[in-house]
Amino acid sequence: MRKLWAIRELSTVAILVFEVLFFAWYLWPDGNRSHPFLNAGNGLLILKYSAIYGIAAVGAAMVIISGGVDLSPGAVMALAGVIGAELFVVQGWALGPAMTLGALSGLVAGFVSAGLVVAVKLPPFIATLGVMGITRGLAFIITEGRYFDVSSQLPGGWRPLGLPADWVAPLIMIALALVFQGLMTTFQWGRSVFAVGGNETAALFSGIAVNRVKTSVYAVAGLLAGVSGVVLTLVQGQAKADLANGYELDIIASSVVGGASLAGGRGSVIGAVLGTLIFGVLRNALPQIPGATFYDRLIVGLVVIVIVVMDQLLLRKRA
Amino acid sequence: MSSSPQGLQFTDVRKSFGAVRALRGVTFGVTEGEAHGLMGENGAGKSTLLKILAGIVQPDAGEVHWRGERLHLGSPRDALERGIGMVYQEMLCFENLTVAGNIFAGREITRGGRLRHQEMRERTRALLAELHLPISPDAPAASLSAAYRQLLQVARALAFDCQILVLDEPTTSLTDAETDHLFAVLERLKARGSTLLYVSHRLPEVLRLCDRITVLRDGSYVNTFDRGAVSASDIVRAMVGRELPPRAAIAAREQTPGRPPALSVDGLGRRPCFNNVSLRVDAGEIVGLFGLVGSGRSELLETIFGLYRREAGTVRIDGQPIDPSSPAAAARAGIALVPEERQRQGLLFNLSVRHNLVLPDRTVKGDLLVRTASERRDAQALVDAWRIKAAGVEVPPDALSGGNQQKVVVAKWLATSPKVLLLDEPTKGVDVGAKFEIHEIIRREAGRGAACLVASSDLPEVLALADRIIVMREGNIQGQIAGADATEESVMHLATHEVSV
Repeated sequence: MRKLWAIRELSTVAILVFEVLFFAWYLWPDGNRSHPFLNAGNGLLILKYSAIYGIAAVGAAMVIISGGVDLSPGAVMALAGVIGAELFVVQGWALGPAMTLGALSGLVAGFVSAGLVVAVKLPPFIATLGVMGITRGLAFIITEGRYFDVSSQLPGGWRPLGLPADWVAPLIMIALALVFQGLMTTFQWGRSVFAVGGNETAALFSGIAVNRVKTSVYAVAGLLAGVSGVVLTLVQGQAKADLANGYELDIIASSVVGGASLAGGRGSVIGAVLGTLIFGVLRNALPQIPGATFYDRLIVGLVVIVIVVMDQLLLRKRA
Repeated sequence: MSSSPQGLQFTDVRKSFGAVRALRGVTFGVTEGEAHGLMGENGAGKSTLLKILAGIVQPDAGEVHWRGERLHLGSPRDALERGIGMVYQEMLCFENLTVAGNIFAGREITRGGRLRHQEMRERTRALLAELHLPISPDAPAASLSAAYRQLLQVARALAFDCQILVLDEPTTSLTDAETDHLFAVLERLKARGSTLLYVSHRLPEVLRLCDRITVLRDGSYVNTFDRGAVSASDIVRAMVGRELPPRAAIAAREQTPGRPPALSVDGLGRRPCFNNVSLRVDAGEIVGLFGLVGSGRSELLETIFGLYRREAGTVRIDGQPIDPSSPAAAARAGIALVPEERQRQGLLFNLSVRHNLVLPDRTVKGDLLVRTASERRDAQALVDAWRIKAAGVEVPPDALSGGNQQKVVVAKWLATSPKVLLLDEPTKGVDVGAKFEIHEIIRREAGRGAACLVASSDLPEVLALADRIIVMREGNIQGQIAGADATEESVMHLATHEVSV
């Protein structure tokens, strides 16, 4: 079983490597000019922006594996960013507490989704659609249409934990991906998530506390979306209510490209993060191709379909 | 091997799934107009053969002929168009449609693209009258009992003039009365000249209906018997390839005085399913809970297991009252439930057999980590102990035959060494060999000291297994009979008649 997943993630890595090689070749510069795509600075840039999606995708993948879906991460990111920025910029809080509270607002949103799914028994799609509207709405109410300038308030040469600021987001993403990959594959809790997603009734009959498992998954997904929102605010240096608009669909797509099945019971956290990198590379490289500007959404859509179809063909062959 | 060019002829049909050779060249014929029984243990290849006939699976080699003409069955649609109607074990029913809608689903009568509701209703009414089914064409399918849903499938097959009707374990969820009704319908079809291929583990049924019986074992053809010239034990021997030991005599158990029963239930109620139910099961005792479908026995077990909130009453384990608010809590208190529907309630198909086998135990223990090595060891031990036929513990459960899947569902709870073992139809849809082994498992658990409460609508099973039989009817306990004194008549009488107090 584990071997199978390892193979699945390797195929995501292979796609990523192929993608990087393709753009390295396609964007190869004439003469002695430096490579516009294949350089360390650009790599860090891709990682930094992918991390915004990647942190939330860790949570989204777990929700999908549990047989649910979460449409709220984009809006939760906006709310978390706006709350953090409001406290930091307007109320004059210290950066740490302000951003922590911002991220925790995601946890609250996650618990609301969980309550609607577990206690009210709404379909996850509807429950999280509602939470998406509520959280986005709260972000607008708080900002009243303004935007908060965070970057000008940050100390010059800001080095959180003594690290260069650009490294923080990728490192958070990698750390969270490793922690939750571990939780999902080597902890009972993770296996319960797979069991609930595979067959909720049988999981219940096996003595698994299904409601608790589902609650934990939505809560964690909310918290991670909150962290994502705070990171996005710091990376962009500003917060406004329409932050991360539509990100939820990119996040779900990343999870699916990384091997998650929307039917539940299948997928991986690492795969989802690799999926966000695949999209991160596309978003970074496509604008550098002259004339491709208007094609990038179309290409991203095609990539989703091609990768998922390939995955299913491989799966059928293996079965 | 009688070859009748005018019937249905299987010639050297072969099929492998990966390393598993499901059919190793099966050749036999079904005469037109006869009722032909197909028997074999789980894993014998019956299901694969039926899937080939239904167009769901394509054979690797071999041919199927009907009336001398070769059949190319590339899809279920092909099979239907060639007049092959299937009635499956797992009931396929569109609960959101009406009876008429179910019968014509996918093949609606239309004119100019518009549905001809009236005509479909009339045809359905005629069909239902022919089958003597007292249901309305407009009744929602969701309102039908399991038996009527099964009969609806027969009607659906007949609506399209099928010449061969294939029935796969059609009686697993039917009561005896409902089975009689189905058989009356099948007899009528036989008289009309339909060819029936009837797959079942229930030997008496097969002997009652079928003119000839073909036995498969391990994917190979064993023999075809004429009904008149064969005994039940001949068929069992052909199926298992060995003699089954005679049923162990039920040893009378002595109750230890002064010791509280392992499980005692007092005044338990959950309307409308059951009411004021009190019963006790001692450690080491096997109590049969008999009742017809709708008597409330599944709901009773599920309430004891904490799946539903009880409205009244208490449940005690070893004299200590417990409040099972969830299966997780009940499992921690030492209760295990082997559910009735293994596909829906019993197995996790996205995880391997190993995960399935150790999950309840590890969940009850509240372990934090998944320890793969120790889990493999424990799972392998269960696989060996219960003779579960599987290509290793890391295969998914759908690589196993039905009987072996059922053994997984039973075995996964035994790893927790439960004090109280509740079993709901533990041998539903399982062949004689696996049934025998599951009975052995239950006896061994009782021998270890578990209190076993076995709900079953299979009367011979209850009589064979139980030290004591409790009979439920319409949500009430009708009475109980000591195992040694019970007969089919006495139990059935309690289950079907009002008791005058």
